[in-house]
Amino acid sequence: MECIFGLVGDGFALIAADSSAVHSILVHKSNEDKVLVLDSHKLLGVSGEAGDRVQFIEYIQKNVHLYQFRNGIPLNTAAAANFTRGELATALRKNPYFVNILLAGYDKGIGPSLYYIDYIATLHKIDKGAFGYGSYFSLAMMDRYFRSGMSLEEAIDLVDKCIMEIRSRLFVAPPNFVIKIVDQNGAREYAWRESISSD
Amino acid sequence: MSRRYDSRTTIFSPEGRLYQVEYAMEAIGNAGSAIGILATDGVVLVGEKKVTSKLLQTSKSTEKMYKVDDHLACAVAGIMSDANILINTARVQAQRYTFAYQEPMPVEQLVQSLCDTKQGYTQFGGLRPFGVSFLFAGWDSNFGFQLYMSDPSGNYSGWKAAAIGANNQAAQSMLKQDYKEDVGREEAVQLALKVLSKTMDSTSLTADKLELAEIFLLPSGEVKYQVCSSEGLTKLLVKSGVTQPSTESA
Amino acid sequence: MKLDTSGLETFVPPSRGLNVLPSDFTASPAFDLPGCTDFDGFQKNAVQMVKPAKGTTTLAFIFKEGVIVAADSRASMGGYISSQTVKKIIEINPYMIGTMAGGAADCQFWHRNLGIKCRLHELANKRRISVTGASKLLANILYSYRGMGLSVGTMIAGWDETGPGLYYVDSEGGRLKGKRFSVGSGSPYAYAVLDSGYRFDLSIEEAAELARRAIYHATFRDGASGGVASVYYVGPDGWKKLSGDDVGELHYKYYPVVTSSVEQEMAEAPVA
Repeated sequence: MECIFGLVGDGFALIAADSSAVHSILVHKSNEDKVLVLDSHKLLGVSGEAGDRVQFIEYIQKNVHLYQFRNGIPLNTAAAANFTRGELATALRKNPYFVNILLAGYDKGIGPSLYYIDYIATLHKIDKGAFGYGSYFSLAMMDRYFRSGMSLEEAIDLVDKCIMEIRSRLFVAPPNFVIKIVDQNGAREYAWRESISSD
Repeated sequence: MSRRYDSRTTIFSPEGRLYQVEYAMEAIGNAGSAIGILATDGVVLVGEKKVTSKLLQTSKSTEKMYKVDDHLACAVAGIMSDANILINTARVQAQRYTFAYQEPMPVEQLVQSLCDTKQGYTQFGGLRPFGVSFLFAGWDSNFGFQLYMSDPSGNYSGWKAAAIGANNQAAQSMLKQDYKEDVGREEAVQLALKVLSKTMDSTSLTADKLELAEIFLLPSGEVKYQVCSSEGLTKLLVKSGVTQPSTESA
Repeated sequence: MKLDTSGLETFVPPSRGLNVLPSDFTASPAFDLPGCTDFDGFQKNAVQMVKPAKGTTTLAFIFKEGVIVAADSRASMGGYISSQTVKKIIEINPYMIGTMAGGAADCQFWHRNLGIKCRLHELANKRRISVTGASKLLANILYSYRGMGLSVGTMIAGWDETGPGLYYVDSEGGRLKGKRFSVGSGSPYAYAVLDSGYRFDLSIEEAAELARRAIYHATFRDGASGGVASVYYVGPDGWKKLSGDDVGELHYKYYPVVTSSVEQEMAEAPVA
């Protein structure tokens, strides 16, 4: 089942997510990218209902872009997180989106940051976090091995530890994961961790 | 006198002019002036109060300067009742932005949103344009200290030094001559007072005819909006040599 | 001779005691309420009953020559097979087809609706809509109706300026781009056959045969799938129906009846 987690390292933040599109017992797709590059320096990792997930993140992405076009300056990560939370909160009592979000970003003068937003519009600034069934394993793993200011190598090593633990202990473990990072050079895909082919 | 193209705001004259908007600007030309100067460490706003009667109970707070948000203030020239409406919407906009993004509204965005409102009144039928010009002074994390000027047409632009209200052209040209890059707040205040004293109609410049407000950063990084007291103004006027020390204090 | 005028007479069905009890005459016609204690539950079940094509096997995959789309043709209402000749592959336009799983009416209606929108797009833009665009159009519509009881599980397959396209779209608002999909109650069986036999560089004939086999094997195990296995191919020149085989016939083709060799033949005992 769904696993998504992220952490903040030294000068970068990263988000890892499973890439399975599941319907009851069927895996329809094992290379579904659930981490959206929101703008040049932001990542949006989303878990939740398939329809809501796509509709909501596209809505957020388009609004963040609109802001940039209108005002000539990008929204910083904190503002984008608060905006996202606000939209989720206004929708909550009308037509709620069932989505859990990790928002990672890098801002000049502020550095990397990671925000936790759940489907009932809770917002937290965190330096490590997770959603889904995999969170039980990845959270404990990160609680044990995370420290602030990790290098990229150390962080990726920790991510791999989390993925391995999920694969070995979670009954309904997803096979493939995508890892994306954001630092001063921008947001980008870092690697895939695939245990089955996803042609 | 023609009443064909100037009775409605929405109609261009054959020469391509919007008379109602021009009349609004005319109205501001008679209002008490205001000067704003951008300094390295802040923004200075100076305004001329038109004292209409000795009997008038002068307001304890400022008449021409308004704080819009913690990081942003404006000086007004024109019809005060119109200005009050706009300032109110500006304050609402600033709070709405903070509500959505949990951070102060970038200065230019606030100016733009206010100018959008102003513009609307030059286009949509049956409405009169706002007879107000503004000087906006503020600070944001994107562009630091900023000074903007806006007029009734909804035009706005950023300035290093700007003047609105009566004799604004004279003031503007003086500013152009005397403005130096990279001045501190203190020097900027001196320049503003000097320019104002020369362009004002009244002969002597006294503290009760003036308002002075500054926006700067506290050591904590917090943006501070500070209005100069009457006593402080008197001292400043003497210091800048605009007025002689008054006889009572001597 | 007497003329037969019976044909001119209006036919009056024998009414049960209508003339006997004139007071009942004014009563408005009405259905009897179902004799059950839980009416809401009954209604819910009834709605389920009129949603055929729930038990279905449909599949589609992209390979080097284009897209293959295949489906069975059975419609069932609970345990009852209501039709063996349902067209579950719906032609949207000459370059795009959709598959049908879930509510037959919902699928048919929204595919036709999509067809209209695609044609309008073509008229407005002087070019065919992309498969990406068409599937997003459908997904957005279905998303706007989510939670209101629509039941659609479809694959949109086609050929556009970017080549072959395949998307899975459902009434929960989900939309997935992919190389290989199967939808319906028989899909696990179809997936198993499809996954094991799939290669990107299949020929059209091989691909069609793979699709046919996958549908056949799904109909073999899934009671709600059956009838005819139709196979469509979408290439650069649009879609084409390749085959439609009765899965019963296919069974005998794939597993011909072997006449078992007789081990011992009864013979006359030799006269002692």
